[in-house]
Amino acid sequence: MIEFYRVAKEYQGRRVLKDVTFKAKKGEFLFLTGPSGAGKSTLLRLIFHAEKPSEGQIIVNGMNVSGMPASRVPALRRSMGIVFQDYKLLPRRTVLENVTYVQKFLGVPAAERRRKAYQTLRLVELHHRMAALPEELSGGEQQRVALARALVNDPVLLIADEPTGNLDHRLASEVMKLLQDVSVRGTTVLVATHDMDLIRAAGRRCVTLDRGRVVEGLVEAALPPQAQGKRGEPEP
Amino acid sequence: MNRPAALAALVSEAFEGLVRARRMTSLSVVLIAISIGLVGAFFLVAENLRSVVETVRDESTVTVFLKSSATEADRADLERLAQATRLVMKLRRVSPDEARARFSTWWKSLGPAARSLPGNPFPASIEMELEPAAVSSEALPPFLKLLAAHRAAEEVQFDVEWIRRLRGAVALARLTGLVLAALLTLGAAFTIANVVRLTILLHRDEIEILRLVGAPELLIRGPFLLGGLVQGFLGALLALALLWIVTRAVLAWVAATKNALLGVFAVRFLPGSTCLMLIAFGLVAGLLGGILAVRRRNLAG
Repeated sequence: MIEFYRVAKEYQGRRVLKDVTFKAKKGEFLFLTGPSGAGKSTLLRLIFHAEKPSEGQIIVNGMNVSGMPASRVPALRRSMGIVFQDYKLLPRRTVLENVTYVQKFLGVPAAERRRKAYQTLRLVELHHRMAALPEELSGGEQQRVALARALVNDPVLLIADEPTGNLDHRLASEVMKLLQDVSVRGTTVLVATHDMDLIRAAGRRCVTLDRGRVVEGLVEAALPPQAQGKRGEPEP
Repeated sequence: MNRPAALAALVSEAFEGLVRARRMTSLSVVLIAISIGLVGAFFLVAENLRSVVETVRDESTVTVFLKSSATEADRADLERLAQATRLVMKLRRVSPDEARARFSTWWKSLGPAARSLPGNPFPASIEMELEPAAVSSEALPPFLKLLAAHRAAEEVQFDVEWIRRLRGAVALARLTGLVLAALLTLGAAFTIANVVRLTILLHRDEIEILRLVGAPELLIRGPFLLGGLVQGFLGALLALALLWIVTRAVLAWVAATKNALLGVFAVRFLPGSTCLMLIAFGLVAGLLGGILAVRRRNLAG
């Protein structure tokens, strides 16, 4: 479902990702972790083609993303759900509109859009705030709207960048349970997070990035001692 | 994809965007209306001049006043000359008595004086009604010279130059209108492009998000393109409405002045084809403006 083969990403001569190789199977739940500046966000941006790799091959949902023409990128992105760290909600749209905005322009009937949005918002306990604007919501609520938007299309791949960062412990656990349920239904889920407790509690495979390189292992090996000591250090 | 529903969503989004930026939209529509109104004003002048030309052309009859010594053979010769040119549609002989009777009819107050004269001062004449195309024919001036040089002709009355100049003025007004149309359409397109570009700037964050969540490119660009088209269309409609009001006002003024000279001008509004052309100018300006505004570099996140 996601395959990275010897992927590198360079910005103005500076290597942010080096020789990244890993694979996530269909329906697999995978964590992506590492210290700040390790390249997690860049890796996620490569998956939904917001960035192009400098080297290597990326296969997502059977499509070679590396050399994908711009005209096919919207379809690629619609095949996945993305939860952004800064939520990226449309500020002048209601919760309902945010969740169903793209569907509207794909010609999905209003009643069906509303029904699906209600069901998805119910999952994240926000079905009672469908008419609210993002500015009327707390950070945690906005995060859950972003999650609902990512889930509403039943994506084959779900990418979430710090999806529990603004949630209290109870809601964070609920969201993680929800994401795991989603993966059980066949959706590949890739969650980028700093939260080691969350990773340990989930007990799922974890890809650890350190200075742009990937270390793949189990929970216990998620952050090797040398990586833990270098958290927050700038990348070379 | 349900295409009609998607299209309806696109249209509603375009209108929503225009309403949201209503001040800029109104300003843009007014500026477009001024541009198209100026073009329309030129066409309006040309149209009314053309109607004057048509009125004059309808009366385009060459009158050959005959010398008193003119014989029947001379008359027949003049008529043969006229028929040979194919410029003349109809020929009519007017006797001196008929000429005096006409004068009395046209100038009622002078009629008794004309009748009281001892002799008939009105010469006999031949009226030659020209073919519609004859006024602009190259063959007309030599024909008039030939008539004037005829031994039986006292005078030839027909002011072809005046009609030609009037036609020239009509053509010039139309040409000016067309050149102005091209320039002002471009100007209107840039106005629309700037308004749409400002709207894009206002929605930059939304555009970025829509791209990230996989919105089709048509959805991102479509509402802005449609918005440009709607602005152009509304601007053209407003221009036509203003021109119509101006025409009505001129009509009312002409009627109120009772000026005989102004009576020659039967003030009329633009024909339907010109109205449609002005609307087309508006739409082209809107489409051009929209296309200029939604170029990728303007929409890049």
